[in-house]
Amino acid sequence: MTVASDRIEPSLTARVWPAEFVRRLITLPPSYFLLAGVVAVTAATSPHLLRMNALLIFLRQAAPLGVAVIGQLLVMRARSIDLSIGGVFIMTNYLITSGMLSGYPTAMLIAVPILMGLVVGVANGVLVAWVRASAVIVTLGMTTILTGVVLYLSSGRPPGGVPMSLKALSAERILTIPLPVLVWTALAVLAALGLRFLVFGRFLAAVGDNPRAAVITGLPLARIVVAAHVLAGVLAAAGGVLHTAALGVGSVKFGPEIIMNSIAATILGGGTFGSGRGGVAGPFVAVVALAFMFAVLTVYGIQDPGKLMIQGLVIAVAAVIYGTRER
Amino acid sequence: MNNIAAILRIGPDHRTGARHLSFLVLIAIIALVAFSSNLFLSPANLANLSSQIAPLLIAAVGQTLVILTGGLDISIGAVIGLVTGLIVLDAPQWQVVLLAIGASATIGLINGIGIAFLRVHPIIMTLSSMSFVQGLALLVRPVPGGTVPNWITASITGDIHGIPYSFLWIVGFSAIGGWLLYRTRLGLHFFALGGNASHAGLNGVRTRESTVAAYVLSSLFAAAAGFFLAGRIASGDANVGASYGLDTITAVALGGTQLSGGIGSLSGTIIGTVIVGVIGNGMNLTDVSAFLQTVIKGALLLAVVCVQRRKEIGL
Repeated sequence: MTVASDRIEPSLTARVWPAEFVRRLITLPPSYFLLAGVVAVTAATSPHLLRMNALLIFLRQAAPLGVAVIGQLLVMRARSIDLSIGGVFIMTNYLITSGMLSGYPTAMLIAVPILMGLVVGVANGVLVAWVRASAVIVTLGMTTILTGVVLYLSSGRPPGGVPMSLKALSAERILTIPLPVLVWTALAVLAALGLRFLVFGRFLAAVGDNPRAAVITGLPLARIVVAAHVLAGVLAAAGGVLHTAALGVGSVKFGPEIIMNSIAATILGGGTFGSGRGGVAGPFVAVVALAFMFAVLTVYGIQDPGKLMIQGLVIAVAAVIYGTRER
Repeated sequence: MNNIAAILRIGPDHRTGARHLSFLVLIAIIALVAFSSNLFLSPANLANLSSQIAPLLIAAVGQTLVILTGGLDISIGAVIGLVTGLIVLDAPQWQVVLLAIGASATIGLINGIGIAFLRVHPIIMTLSSMSFVQGLALLVRPVPGGTVPNWITASITGDIHGIPYSFLWIVGFSAIGGWLLYRTRLGLHFFALGGNASHAGLNGVRTRESTVAAYVLSSLFAAAAGFFLAGRIASGDANVGASYGLDTITAVALGGTQLSGGIGSLSGTIIGTVIVGVIGNGMNLTDVSAFLQTVIKGALLLAVVCVQRRKEIGL
């Protein structure tokens, strides 16, 4: 439906500004409406949640997912998908908390997981782009393998705790803004600038619009897809580092919901399968909106089953309204 | 080399996919397991194996129908959890059975309508319904428990002349799947849809109605798997199906069916399911850690997918 409205000649509607304004509004990704809705409900019922300090805490909790979602957006723009984010998060958690890196400087605690993410991204990219295996199967298989390796190495028990230095770094604030939020924002701005101004950004847009046309024009399709997956792997690992640092302990009991939420946020933010649409801002807002929504639901005493049901409804409604694939 | 590939029917050109290769893999794995543990071929273990495989196979048959149309059903696991939760509800038995079947059909219908009529991507549609249904299942049955009607338990655990009932379930649901796919017009339409939806439509296939039918059938097969699992564990458990979404996709892919649709076979799915079952069973017999089994299954999935090179890059 919105796709159809995109095709209306701008010159026809630009003259009537209310119509133009409405047209712009309805083509906004659903995440903006979700955020507006959640904020409105909160303001009406429990305004104390809207204080600056509480908001910064929401944002800090949202940062790990936010960073991973940037990667998810990049692969979706290349008409692929990354379901290995959950596995990368678990492996990152294990690398940091198992004690195998204890004694090394904090930089190593960050560098080693990111290197792991890089390797996973390369493997995903090569299998998807050169072997032309299904992206769903490859990345899902990757999560299975990574999760299995962590469970095997840790015998299914949560490993140790997070080294103090990393915890302290994650609790750091610069001008009252938590460091993880700054990292997230910086990466999002970088990604937005890159998509807009770098050649790679233009390549991604071309591949997303029409892969066949891109190949015929001479773009290195396979290499672009590999690059998107490598970036996604690195960003997932970076998100995993933030997540583990915030969590403070080792855990083997997360993963599926990270995959789920990363896709939910990308879709809510206007990213779509198979059309390569979507910018960085929409998913950014979506991550904030989802974090806000879950926090508010928790305040209202709604348990996990209710949250799952509401999450499912929100994604479905957003997908139906926004139309998630081209006609 | 090309001749070998042609005999094994590797490659995207055959409608049945790479099931012959899968069959060789299965033979190799069975031989390996039978050599490393002499318990494997004992009747007790084979009965055990059959009861482990049955629910996965039933659900995987439904997944095959959906994948052949070019879709994907991730909500299968949640539907299984919901069905086991509904069966143990405190109400007359015919009511809970009807409720479970009706609920599953409704979920499939909603999936199908969202995908075919509202044009939501299958992964997103079934992901959101998975989330919703999983929440609903946890609401119905927050902790595992309850009592499963006796006749359901009895229809799963017994045997007739040494043939376990679970094997009859396998044969029965494979037959239903085979009849649907190869003996009805709808089955042919599923292949046509997955091959090229717009061409199928131009040739008179009612593409949207057929897509909805595939998702309804997938949910109903999941419900049957739910009945079986409820009988096997003799209680309701909202999380019992959690791994089935991924496991059915693994089984279907191992059987040489392509996720892009139109290419694949039911026999491939049966082979794929048995591979998953035998690996799990064999590693249990030889005391391989359950966690390492996960790693090996994942690696095997990647290996098999790598053999089936497709024409285009994509989901």
